[in-house]
Amino acid sequence: MRNDRVESGQRRREQRATGELSLQSNLSAVQAKGAMEKLVAAYNKTGGAQVKLNTVASEIYRTQLPTYLTSANPPDVYTWYAGSVADSYAKKGLLLDVSSVWEGLGNYPKAMQTLSTSSTGEKIFVPTSYYWWGMFYRKSNFAKWGVTPPKTWDEFLAVCKTIQSKGVPPIGIGLGDTPWVASAWFDYLNIRINGAPFHRDLLAGRGRFDDPKVKAVFTKWQEALPYFDPKGKSFPFQEATSALLGGKTGMFLIGTFFADSAPKDALDDIDFFQFPIIDPAVPVAEEAPTDGYFASKKAKDPEGVKKFMTWLATAEAQEIYVQSSSGTAIPANPDGKSADTPLVQKGKAMIESAAELTQFFNRDSSDALQPTADAALTKFLDKPDQIDKILKDWQAAAEKVFNA
Amino acid sequence: MNRLRTAGYHLSMSVVSFLWIAPILWVIVISFRSFDDVAANGLGSLPHSFTFSTYKQAWEDADEFRALINSLLVTIPAVLLSLGLASIAAYGLARYNIPFRRTVLLLMLMGNLLPPQILLIPISRFVELIGYYDTLIALIAVHVGFGLGFYTFVLHGFMRDLPREIQEAATIDGAGPGRIYSSVILPLTRPAMAALGALSFTWIFNDLLWSITVIRSGEKMPVTPALLGLQGLFVSSWNVIAAGTVIAAVPTVAVFLRFQKHFVGGLAIGAVK
Repeated sequence: MRNDRVESGQRRREQRATGELSLQSNLSAVQAKGAMEKLVAAYNKTGGAQVKLNTVASEIYRTQLPTYLTSANPPDVYTWYAGSVADSYAKKGLLLDVSSVWEGLGNYPKAMQTLSTSSTGEKIFVPTSYYWWGMFYRKSNFAKWGVTPPKTWDEFLAVCKTIQSKGVPPIGIGLGDTPWVASAWFDYLNIRINGAPFHRDLLAGRGRFDDPKVKAVFTKWQEALPYFDPKGKSFPFQEATSALLGGKTGMFLIGTFFADSAPKDALDDIDFFQFPIIDPAVPVAEEAPTDGYFASKKAKDPEGVKKFMTWLATAEAQEIYVQSSSGTAIPANPDGKSADTPLVQKGKAMIESAAELTQFFNRDSSDALQPTADAALTKFLDKPDQIDKILKDWQAAAEKVFNA
Repeated sequence: MNRLRTAGYHLSMSVVSFLWIAPILWVIVISFRSFDDVAANGLGSLPHSFTFSTYKQAWEDADEFRALINSLLVTIPAVLLSLGLASIAAYGLARYNIPFRRTVLLLMLMGNLLPPQILLIPISRFVELIGYYDTLIALIAVHVGFGLGFYTFVLHGFMRDLPREIQEAATIDGAGPGRIYSSVILPLTRPAMAALGALSFTWIFNDLLWSITVIRSGEKMPVTPALLGLQGLFVSSWNVIAAGTVIAAVPTVAVFLRFQKHFVGGLAIGAVK
């Protein structure tokens, strides 16, 4: 009886192996899902192995990805993030070496190549798009309050003061359910004060969170704390977006994905400025989370997978995706055209002029380290006078993650 | 005085009932609001719009029809199978002097005390090993397996208390164990079966954990994970999710209304035995 079952299981596996690639996608939001369907349809028209798209709710995908990758009959290609997150799977020997795909990607910027290379030097990832973070605001509100986008930290604090004097909390944030949003402040303050290399080392476990240099980040943050929206701790970032659009907060440090939750008529009124410069001597770094694909080492048809990924890396494929998704993503291929809106052009220019790129806390470290940051930062926002204790606890929690 | 008391009772109970029902009402209100209204005014504000399009969107985008079919394809066989098997097991354990029957029963119950979370990975690996990963059959099997212990325990308690004389009379009339089970014991166990059936229907229908553990294809997902699929990576259209939730609640509410009486009975069975 059991033998029968094993055999039928194997038969099922063999059937699947014939001429079809499976693409496991976490892009479950309506628009992104539609964009993926268009993308796959376009590839399937080019001939070769047919790709079957399988969209799974992003929350489920996040928790099940390790299971997918380690199963006996894993899907072939996956949507996921570049950098140390991808590398953590490569270290376990789960990812396909796609160095041959990269032979044709000489025009990709150096930063993208680094992000797509595993610690053993293999290319394991094909980036297809990225987005940026910035301090977003409504142009009409800034005009009404008589403030202009600040460039330096002191100017920024002055703007905060002015907005507060109009009776509006200057800095919006949304930490209920989405505590990771606070990490953007930590990331940016750290790369502005201590620089991107220090930030990367710290997140990779080569530094300490109770380092005085990390403490400096928090003392700087304290200067801005009185301007944070006190309600921000209780609602998620999507509600914080509504607060910004409704003029109930002045500015909001957030990634461009927030635009998906904005009514279309408000979008034209939205602009952003670069996170203020704190120390001009530190090379300017920006957060540019990079999305793309990796493939399973057990892929049934590695050549077919590589052919598909080579196509995904073309400007043409990335334009198909960017045009039909929400439109704030920028193609990873430098030849790919992004959306023509002034907002996207400005974001793209900011990223291209940056000396260094980071991604985001979890992408530069690991999904396991993110909760330690959430705990520490939430506590800091509650009890800003306990920095030393918070940092000591954070270091202890981080050590547990790194030693696991 | 008595009148005042009654009035006070009704008033306070109305308030309590309203508190219970308020979140559901809130979901229903949100499900009729447009996306721009929710985005501009926030989830907590009073509605500024009224639309049915959310229901259409939920139905089409989450593919709720297929998801509901999947859910029923899993739930109905799982309920029938687990109750059928559990009643046979309970019959044997309750009515016959099987050696170690207490141990068997305790073992079955022990399995239920294990938190299901620790079994997630073994089960997903095992299902894969026997070649049933990503099939609805696997999901049915998991639900039957997990329900069996508890259902047997409850039915055992119920069957044990049926008078011995009925069975003796049937034996004298020449009925074998099979006949006694189907013609005597089973009809007498109907109230307990109906109560358990109604409870297990909601449990299995509302399950999320096992479906995402043994299924990975979007088109095979039951309705609960399909609802999660309406949530985007960062941004979620809460109005559409609310509409989808309302649709997904219809089958369980229907079962509840149909078996209302047994539900209460079912809870009592668990409490007394």
